[in-house]
Amino acid sequence: MTRGEEVGGEGDAARRDARTDRPAPARWVERHAISILGVATAIVLAVVFYYPVLTVFADAVRVGGEWTGAVVRGVLTDPFYFGVLAPILGGDFGAVAEVAAESPLGLFGFTAFQALLSTVASVLLGLPGAYVLSRYEFPGRRTLRSLTILPFVMPSIMVAIGFVAFFGTNGPLNDLLALFGLGPVNLLFTLEAIVVAHAFYNAPLVARVTTAAWESVDARMVETARSLGANPWRAFRDVLAPQLLPAVLTGALLTFVFTFMSFPIVLALGGFQLATVEVWVYSLVQELEYAEAATLAVAETAVSLALTYAYLRYEARQSGGGRAANPPPRKRLLPDSPSPLAAFERVGVFAYAAMVAVVFVGPIATMVAESVTGPSGFTLRYYEFLVQRQVEGASFQTKPGVAVRNSLLFGVATLLVALPMGVTVSVLTSRGGRAGRLADVAAMAPLAVSGVVVGLGMLRGLVFGVELWGHRLQVTGPVAIVAAHGVAAYPFVVRNVAPLLGGVDRSVVESARALGATRVRALLDVELPLVASGVAAGAAFAFAISIGEFDSTVILATGSSSYTMPVAVERYIGNRTLGPATAMGTVLLVVTSLSFVVVDRLGGRWEA
Amino acid sequence: MKRRTLLKHGGTATVVGLAGCTGGGNGGQETTTDETTTTEATATETTEETETTTETGLSGTLKVATYSSFVDAPSSSPGAWLKNEFEKRHPDVTVKYETPENELNYYIQRAAQGVDISTDVYVGLNVDHLIRIDEKLGDRSLFAPMADRLSHYGHVKDGLKFDPQQRAIPYDTGYISLVYDESGVEKPPETFRDLLKDRYAGDLIVQNAKTAATGRAFLLWTVNTVGEDRYLDYWTKLKNNGVKILGSWSDAYTAYENGEAPMVVSYSTDQVYANRQNKDLTKHQVGFLNDQGYANPEGMAKFADTDNPELAAAFMDFLLSKRAQKKIAQLNVQFPATDWAPLSEEFQKYAKTPKNPVTFTYEELQGNLDSWVDSWAREIAGGQ
Repeated sequence: MTRGEEVGGEGDAARRDARTDRPAPARWVERHAISILGVATAIVLAVVFYYPVLTVFADAVRVGGEWTGAVVRGVLTDPFYFGVLAPILGGDFGAVAEVAAESPLGLFGFTAFQALLSTVASVLLGLPGAYVLSRYEFPGRRTLRSLTILPFVMPSIMVAIGFVAFFGTNGPLNDLLALFGLGPVNLLFTLEAIVVAHAFYNAPLVARVTTAAWESVDARMVETARSLGANPWRAFRDVLAPQLLPAVLTGALLTFVFTFMSFPIVLALGGFQLATVEVWVYSLVQELEYAEAATLAVAETAVSLALTYAYLRYEARQSGGGRAANPPPRKRLLPDSPSPLAAFERVGVFAYAAMVAVVFVGPIATMVAESVTGPSGFTLRYYEFLVQRQVEGASFQTKPGVAVRNSLLFGVATLLVALPMGVTVSVLTSRGGRAGRLADVAAMAPLAVSGVVVGLGMLRGLVFGVELWGHRLQVTGPVAIVAAHGVAAYPFVVRNVAPLLGGVDRSVVESARALGATRVRALLDVELPLVASGVAAGAAFAFAISIGEFDSTVILATGSSSYTMPVAVERYIGNRTLGPATAMGTVLLVVTSLSFVVVDRLGGRWEA
Repeated sequence: MKRRTLLKHGGTATVVGLAGCTGGGNGGQETTTDETTTTEATATETTEETETTTETGLSGTLKVATYSSFVDAPSSSPGAWLKNEFEKRHPDVTVKYETPENELNYYIQRAAQGVDISTDVYVGLNVDHLIRIDEKLGDRSLFAPMADRLSHYGHVKDGLKFDPQQRAIPYDTGYISLVYDESGVEKPPETFRDLLKDRYAGDLIVQNAKTAATGRAFLLWTVNTVGEDRYLDYWTKLKNNGVKILGSWSDAYTAYENGEAPMVVSYSTDQVYANRQNKDLTKHQVGFLNDQGYANPEGMAKFADTDNPELAAAFMDFLLSKRAQKKIAQLNVQFPATDWAPLSEEFQKYAKTPKNPVTFTYEELQGNLDSWVDSWAREIAGGQ
């Protein structure tokens, strides 16, 4: 991806003397910058994503060196997996009634059902957050906005520790409820626990994406509608909502795809009775049953990609109504002119804040509290362990300082890789048409493929290497990790940038081109500044994905010192003690909180 | 403690220096270290010290693969101690640990794809692993038989030997049992049938047999006791009685400690650790069902392709030595696998052994394991 940076550098030089006497190579590079970046993106994708994953998918139809459709057929017609769909797919219509009575949903049906519930919960919890963050001005708003991304990087083990402790029978939540004479509630190991934990992860995503859109709406259109006689509700429904809907649906789509493929949270909080398809894929991979695992993974991917394609068709229909970002002014938390409606709205805001405290702050605070609590009360020995490990740890042991350094380095490097990749894909696919949408779906695939499969593919494709002309080519170490993080992160850049880019008035871009600006110059000088909030949100996501990524980091870091903070958290889980793991988790929390505030401030400067 | 560590290291340096002088080139010569190594040596340790010899016959790098908590988890990892002690005995040897995330699967996959394995020894093998290796790799051998070349092999308890081909050599063992909270369980269940009673409804946490070794051992225990034909039935009833099935041993144990249920499937050494942590032992009572406990020995094996068979043998023999056996038991909180390691007072007092240890042999599991676990999983999962 250094190529991308070079292009940027040339662009800076070019800015000084607009179209006159620059050397020919520089002009050539600028003219072809988008194509060059496109090719580079495709190469990175092919090496660290498509090739590894396709080798795993091939297992579904190639068993023991023979091509066969038997495994795929077996899985598709198994009522355990597909419920009533199975006899239909198998052409055995007589068995439908029997299966419907016994296991109507099957594992896929149940997985989709819990993902649907999780998505609804995430949207319900996320939207008010977006409203408050984009429409209110209060001290600490920017910091709070930066921190909304925090749940995203929390390793699932930490979230599970926090949830089990906070929502547990003897946990703080039940203590709190008891104060009001309520409870106790038994939330753990139920479908509700999974849904709440999924909302913990994904509501911030919904809030974040929607906030970015809300901050770039055109308020003048609302004013126009109002001046034409529309009441506030109609103005919202007919003018504002259509501007926000693509972002909300983006959040919902991503949430569905993630929760459809969730597995660590389900394992830790739901119990095996509530297993999802991905739990099954994971177990099968552990047992080295690749054919069946690959078939299930392909089916999962097909569902995710179909949804993505449907969404992109919708998005394509929405764009094109050019507008300029011109958000309405923010309200103050204490209303300027008191009215019943304003008071009512503020009460709602505070009720929402209380709910946020329970769902987000509760588990995180409990996890932090665990890190300073030993069997006999307050203790700092888990932090002492971290210091001692840093100072005395052997070379084969995980050191906290190295983990922090690696996480930050990989995070920044990922951002530098994912932003150009994401923006390039956004530009290339914004040309529209069926081909554009298909390309977009292909580019979104890294989100839609099970993490277990990506990990396995990387192990077999990159870590073990490929035999080429008598040499074994292997890809491991920091560069491979950053590439993998970049691939995992850039779809977020695309989903944050593309919808806004599609909304930019084409005539502005065309005027710039007519005046002689190259495509890249028009992008950098005209379009990106208009969609800055989306770019900043994408950058924050890229950084967050890198910090929180676990599967590919662990695999690509095999035998090296390229481990990150979440990896260290996992490795510090001891025999009958979570103390050191929660202490490392707290370090992760502090380091990432600080860096998000910094990332957002830097991004914010660019936005302004 | 830190001062002691320092002293110990100082002592080691002198001994190693000496060994270098006297041993020079003459492979057979051995230098016996004395008490200078360990200033904290107690009377019992004195006798064991005679085992500590410095050999110069072996040199090179020994690559040892294991699971990550064997070397990396706080306070309870034997890895560092083993490396230091072994290197002290063999000054020209360096032990290098490898802890791939997918543990043994990593090496099975490598072997299946025909990629070279440059590792010498694997530590942390159980009978399920062996079955998987033999099923997936067929004729290609990942590990090679080793027992004949180990001078301490005779001390390994016969009942724990789980590999008919003698590739895997047991180095420690645990018994799967119940751990319960006396204040939450008035009368602990004594049989598997008891667990189905209303009074224990919602009281038990077990681990997922597909992903956790303890959960799998508990499932196999039910197959062993209730019978191959009736275990699924038994589990359906257990499920209806509100058993909670969580992902890993750690997930389950945390939930237990947070009071989500008064019983959990764990190890019969539970009190050893609880006592070290000054925990209330009433919450760490060990219960055996039908007077049984499911034995789960852990083994080590030499990779078939190793270029360092001598070194591998020396290391494996070292793990079976009296001193190492005692230390591994202590750090891994498991029972030694040999008959000659004296159990510490702590172990004698707090670690419990079942009257009738049960386990399935390799032959009994072969061809059955996958279908038993798979049928169980289909019975449990599906969102009902």
